[in-house]
Amino acid sequence: MTSETPFQIDIPDEKLTILRAKLELASFPNELEDAGWKYGAPLADVKRLTERWKNGYDWRKYEKEINEQLPMFTRDIDVDGFGALNIHYVHKKSEIVDAIPLLFCHGWPGSFLEVGKILPFLTSSAPEHPSFHVVALSLPGFGFSEAPHKQGFAINQYAEVAHKLMVALGYNEYVTHGGDWGSLITRRMASLYGGRHLKAWHTNSPLAKPPSWRSPLFFLSFLLTPWSTEEKAGIERTTWFHTKGQGYYNEQSTQPQTLGYSLADSPVGLLAWIYEKLVLWTDNYNWSDDEVLTWISLYWFSRDGPAASLRIYFELRSDCEDLGQSPTTPMGASFFPKELIVLPAAWLRKSHNVVFESHHKTGGHFAATEVPEELAQDIRKMFAKGGPAFAIVPGRTGYA
Amino acid sequence: MPSETPFQINIPDEKLRILRAKLELATFPDELQDIGWRHGAPLADMKRLVERWKNGYDWRKYEKELNQELPMFTRDIDVDGFGALNIHYVHKKSETVDAIPLLFCHGWPGSFIEIRGMLPLLTASSPKHPSFHVVALSLPGFGFSEGAHKPGFGLDQYAEVTHKLMIALGYNEYVTEGGDWGFLITRRMAAKYGGKHVKAWHTNFPMADPPTWKSPLSFLLYLLTPYSAEEKAGLERTAWYRNKSSGYFVEQSTFPQTLAYGFTDSPVALLGWFYEKLVIWTDDYKWTDDEALTWISIYWFSRAGPGAAHRIYSEVSGDFYNLGRTSYPTIPMGASYFPKELLLLPSAWLRRLNNVVIESHHKSGGHFAAYERPEELTEDVRKMFAKGGPAFAVVPGKSGYA
Repeated sequence: MTSETPFQIDIPDEKLTILRAKLELASFPNELEDAGWKYGAPLADVKRLTERWKNGYDWRKYEKEINEQLPMFTRDIDVDGFGALNIHYVHKKSEIVDAIPLLFCHGWPGSFLEVGKILPFLTSSAPEHPSFHVVALSLPGFGFSEAPHKQGFAINQYAEVAHKLMVALGYNEYVTHGGDWGSLITRRMASLYGGRHLKAWHTNSPLAKPPSWRSPLFFLSFLLTPWSTEEKAGIERTTWFHTKGQGYYNEQSTQPQTLGYSLADSPVGLLAWIYEKLVLWTDNYNWSDDEVLTWISLYWFSRDGPAASLRIYFELRSDCEDLGQSPTTPMGASFFPKELIVLPAAWLRKSHNVVFESHHKTGGHFAATEVPEELAQDIRKMFAKGGPAFAIVPGRTGYA
Repeated sequence: MPSETPFQINIPDEKLRILRAKLELATFPDELQDIGWRHGAPLADMKRLVERWKNGYDWRKYEKELNQELPMFTRDIDVDGFGALNIHYVHKKSETVDAIPLLFCHGWPGSFIEIRGMLPLLTASSPKHPSFHVVALSLPGFGFSEGAHKPGFGLDQYAEVTHKLMIALGYNEYVTEGGDWGFLITRRMAAKYGGKHVKAWHTNFPMADPPTWKSPLSFLLYLLTPYSAEEKAGLERTAWYRNKSSGYFVEQSTFPQTLAYGFTDSPVALLGWFYEKLVIWTDDYKWTDDEALTWISIYWFSRAGPGAAHRIYSEVSGDFYNLGRTSYPTIPMGASYFPKELLLLPSAWLRRLNNVVIESHHKSGGHFAAYERPEELTEDVRKMFAKGGPAFAVVPGKSGYA
């Protein structure tokens, strides 16, 4: 196994040339009158973003910023049955020697970039709150991590990569924060490596099974208890996602390569596919055009291309549909109103070892980007002195 | 209303130039080892097709063939609330004066091209079988028909435009043949205009609802009757379609504009999405590369652009599940069952809800039956309307015979 190699993003000029050539040739569909957001991103938005991407958006500027702000590395991680995959990750240590090692795990269409805003909060030192050594990997097939080359790279493999990375970095005991796929993957890590290695896990995308008649008392209370306003809103949001928001999921989990041909050949197609999620899945977040284009450029310029990132849906489809056994490892959950699946907290408490919970009035699926300070506060509270998971990693309280 | 204008496909050179320029810049994803068709069309197929499309495929040759084979026209058809849409259609009359007027209605990702195999057969004159005057339109937004410009163009509107086309052509009474969306549209036509105008309807895509407890006897029979081998295979195929092959449906019916951006900007995107269907929805049909590229070029060069056609999914989907339960047509119906169709339900379910006067069960053929099995499907349609057949002379004065 190779040791850590410092990494700087340095997209070859050739790739920028090809992108520009394609954008110069961009062709657009028409749009139904007054379509708004009803059928996807409005034509005006996509045209404006394409124009900016072609003229004005400066990838090198943002590439430089990322390189300066996020200390990045690569190293080979061996995955049983799949050989070594070269994994790209951010690794920033706090000044506090005994800071808590924390793995930050993204999802789709997210990336390691999502740790950017929250990183300073988590690694900063102060007597008032705990501090963290943060590791944020690019999942295999995302960002600058190598993608698996054969079928069968499923949830246990993603968990294995992330876990082995932490151990390789000397963090034999650690905690995690995850959203989207990161939530499911860290949840599986908690089942596989909980207790011995993974001491506690936190998520902004909590998932749980609904009550069943098999627990009659709970089921009865579920039937009788009126929903709170927050819960009603959550159910509406979840219903919207379930009835209107499943197209990408259905295609990606059945025919990822079909969609992959589109995303790999057309930057406009990729832009439309991802931008739609950036807007519909957030809580009125004010994306700047350059911020959007940086997220999408990362997919366009990713090591193994945007098509590779879709395969996780195909391989992990059954894990989405059947959550299986819940880990017993202590967990923290942050509830944001514009998350995609917003379930009553009671369902989570029933099936998981929830030691920390918080309910927010704003924020959506990309909480680390939309409300980084609030999310950081939640994580700090969970592990703070007097908090429910204080000193859960022996010898690493997060304080000086 | 303006009358009929003869139409020849003549794609401007500029469009061919743009297509080539995009294909020159084509970039491909990688592929998992030994993945075959499991995730979509294999990379080798896609690369080969793109290479052919760029170098060797001669659109002008196939454009000319279509122009020669298919007598085509356009005319404006007014749709209530949507204004006039310019509709492109094939119209070929039989030599038999009293041939039966037949409307052929395609679906997605099909087009008017699907009539080309059946057209000479349906219009042929012979004492041995009935003959037809055939009209095959491009649905609004498909082929060379204008697309609707505002939301709300649903099943009633597709039915209206198609029906009005037949009337405009002087066919006050007619029969229909449809598959895929063509099935749903001709079913709505049969419900709305049946009896007075539509006299009978035939389909290669029969859809029916299962019996529910609301019809206790049917439901009981349904529960108790073991499925035949054909029915079991059909239900398996249906389950496969529902679980593995309907991702396109969910995306197209919720975010069609999102897809439109990719389809319009990238011929490779369009090819990937459509070619997959041409292969996995057919019964081992041996597509030549040029054949597949012609199907897909029709979408690429379509009048409303490649992003327009699949809006039908979002505009109609609200209707999709409700239609059948409120208005099953009573006019005579014919059904052809092909084993690689996508939804294959026990034929008893169809007979329970529709006035099925003839049905046939085939041992080969898939979703694009008119294209894959033109002789077999023509045979089925002829039998329905033949002398001695269950729908003989259903259109008064147009028996289909000399």
